[in-house]
Amino acid sequence: MIADYRAEANALDAEIQDIIERWSTPPGYRGRWEHSHPDFKFDFNDLGLRIFEHQLRFNGPYARFCQSLGITSSAQLRDWQDIPPVPAAAFKEASLATFAPALAALKFETSGTTMGSGGIHYMENSRLYDASLRAGFAYGLLRDGPQPLRYCMLLPNLEQKPRSSLSYMMDRVAKAFGDGNHSWYVDGGELAASRFIHDVREARKNNVAICVAGTAFAFVSMLDELAREAIALPLPSGSRIMETGGFKGRTRVVERPELYTALADVFSLPSHHIIGEYGMTELTTQYYDNSFDETRHKSAPPWLASYAVDETGKQQPPGIVGALVHVDLANRSSCAAILTEDLGAVLKDGSLVLIGRERGAELRGCSLDAESLRAAVS
Amino acid sequence: MTALSKVRAAEIAGAISDAAERWRDADFPVRVRATGRITERTGYSIPVVEYALDRLFFAIDRASLEAVIAGELGDVEMLDGFCSRAGRTAAWARPIGNVCVISSRTTIGVALPAVLFALCAKCDVLVKDREDSLIASFLETLREELPKFEGAARAETWSSQDENAPALRSFDTVVAFGQSETLTAIRNALSPEARFIGFGSRASAGYVSRESLCGVDAAAEVARGAARDIVLYETEGCLSLHVLFVEDGAAVSAAAFSRTLQDEIARANVEFPRGEPALGRLAQAAQARALGAFQRASGESALFEPPPFLPRLAHAIPVGGPGDALEYLRRHGVALEGFAITDNRPDVIGMAVSAGAVRITRFGELQNPPLAGEHGGRPRIAEFVRWTDKTF
Repeated sequence: MIADYRAEANALDAEIQDIIERWSTPPGYRGRWEHSHPDFKFDFNDLGLRIFEHQLRFNGPYARFCQSLGITSSAQLRDWQDIPPVPAAAFKEASLATFAPALAALKFETSGTTMGSGGIHYMENSRLYDASLRAGFAYGLLRDGPQPLRYCMLLPNLEQKPRSSLSYMMDRVAKAFGDGNHSWYVDGGELAASRFIHDVREARKNNVAICVAGTAFAFVSMLDELAREAIALPLPSGSRIMETGGFKGRTRVVERPELYTALADVFSLPSHHIIGEYGMTELTTQYYDNSFDETRHKSAPPWLASYAVDETGKQQPPGIVGALVHVDLANRSSCAAILTEDLGAVLKDGSLVLIGRERGAELRGCSLDAESLRAAVS
Repeated sequence: MTALSKVRAAEIAGAISDAAERWRDADFPVRVRATGRITERTGYSIPVVEYALDRLFFAIDRASLEAVIAGELGDVEMLDGFCSRAGRTAAWARPIGNVCVISSRTTIGVALPAVLFALCAKCDVLVKDREDSLIASFLETLREELPKFEGAARAETWSSQDENAPALRSFDTVVAFGQSETLTAIRNALSPEARFIGFGSRASAGYVSRESLCGVDAAAEVARGAARDIVLYETEGCLSLHVLFVEDGAAVSAAAFSRTLQDEIARANVEFPRGEPALGRLAQAAQARALGAFQRASGESALFEPPPFLPRLAHAIPVGGPGDALEYLRRHGVALEGFAITDNRPDVIGMAVSAGAVRITRFGELQNPPLAGEHGGRPRIAEFVRWTDKTF
């Protein structure tokens, strides 16, 4: 059984890794990202169902959940959208892994949902995660910019937050794509604003483009600090911002368009260099903005696909708002299909329009046209 | 002396019945306009609002009004002057005086029966209306039916912070619907002599007996009714089905019934489309539903999970018998209003009564309370009168 598992897991990992690498380095790749991949193809459905079968065999809690829904084999499913999504909140209920959690190479704490406290996402090895996050980040942020960038993280570093998937991701990104001088500006829970201002000015003096990454709440705090000191902090040419996360557990909430406008003003950036990232600890792959008007459609690498469901779990047609389900094939060692508490619509081209949890309560009508999508975007 | 003191109670009831009859017509222009405003205020879909208005106005007729008055006071004429009473002193049920009725934020027309019975008791009534002006619109129709209502009832909107908010201290009776903090604040603002009738937040439950799950068709019938009780008013009303117990050991298992219920909810969603409250909390509801399924698959008992109180969601909780259901309701402190049952089993009815239910009915009827019944376990009109006995 163990040998059986190992062989199957390794084969699947290799297959996923190959897909990531082929997509990340298309023919003609010369160190700069090319947006279109006309020749890139793989059968998401086939691989998705095989990963599901693997998880049915080796992920006990997930298999029991599927069994309770009457599903014991991938042969019962027509396509990847039939894979039963595990609720994100289930990560606090059980160890959702295809292997013994004690053997996990990576353990990330989920921040929890409105259903309660967080859980742990166990990953068997770091290779898939590293490859997936790097490919997604390069696609989302480095398509048209200079490299290497200097990375400035408005986040705690990995020593302080060893189980933060976001800190891990930015650590890997900075090491893969950075100039070797990256820094972290949340220390002991405090924002190190003075040090950040100093470092940005130094980078500007030396004409080194930077990438500032942080949560929405950290950016709001930094903007508050800069406003208090009446400082404008233009970033060097080619710089960019990666904003992620919302305002979970925070008392101050700023609408995203308002935040992006303020960031563009203070840091003198064009709006397409302020890029929203959408990820979850329960996922291995991330979405990034691929349109930069108010709507901010998001796209992901092709091994992550999503759809929306109504409250009964029934799939919604494209453009209809619902709870988002993500199927991330790089989640090979946990659960590929995750039902989130995030509200959004998946469009015909597979891109995502995210609606903040706070905004959901204000929505009118469940079918959003372009105008209301723009207004509803958080 | 109140505005209606010289009008006979039967005439008042007749006028109310005639006004309600006009509102039963879905094309009655005043109702059409009110429907739009209610949809705007509550966020419920139009079919849900139409259903609510039908239930409200079809229930109001002269026979029901007079039956309640006679049932609680002895005779409708008790409201018009001294009447003799078998074995008791002669008495006159006189209006208590000024009544204020404060509507709640979510429900549709919940204040109306209280207003109508206060008017039948010939009280002067002020209603705190919602932004949809439903009560104001109905009072306008009432005045058209019987101009003597002019001066007897008015509906206004205000917030407790308004400088011009009426002084609650000036009322003889205040009826209020709302959350505990709101009710406490209102009660504290009354004069010591005033009567306070508070209707706080409550939930409803249902119990599916093993006898009712004798076959697939019977189970589907129960599930159909339960689905309607769940989806109407986005599960926000005190008569919405929030907690559903399913007895083990039936021909149709609790798990199978749960799946049938999901199918029936999907059907009910077509008849009564989701409104805004459900959309805003859709993702939470989907998560809670899936998490419940995950926990049950992991062998965890749903008995330890509190009710989700999310739109269009009620977990089917398997129980061994009524004792488990009672324990669950007590453990989670569920204050009950209604209780839906599948048959007249004495142990189930006894459990519902012990749990504090004030209305027991069949599935599918929870959200359809009869005017001739009590609301919140309280009388309809008795609290709007002050008795004068005559022994001379």
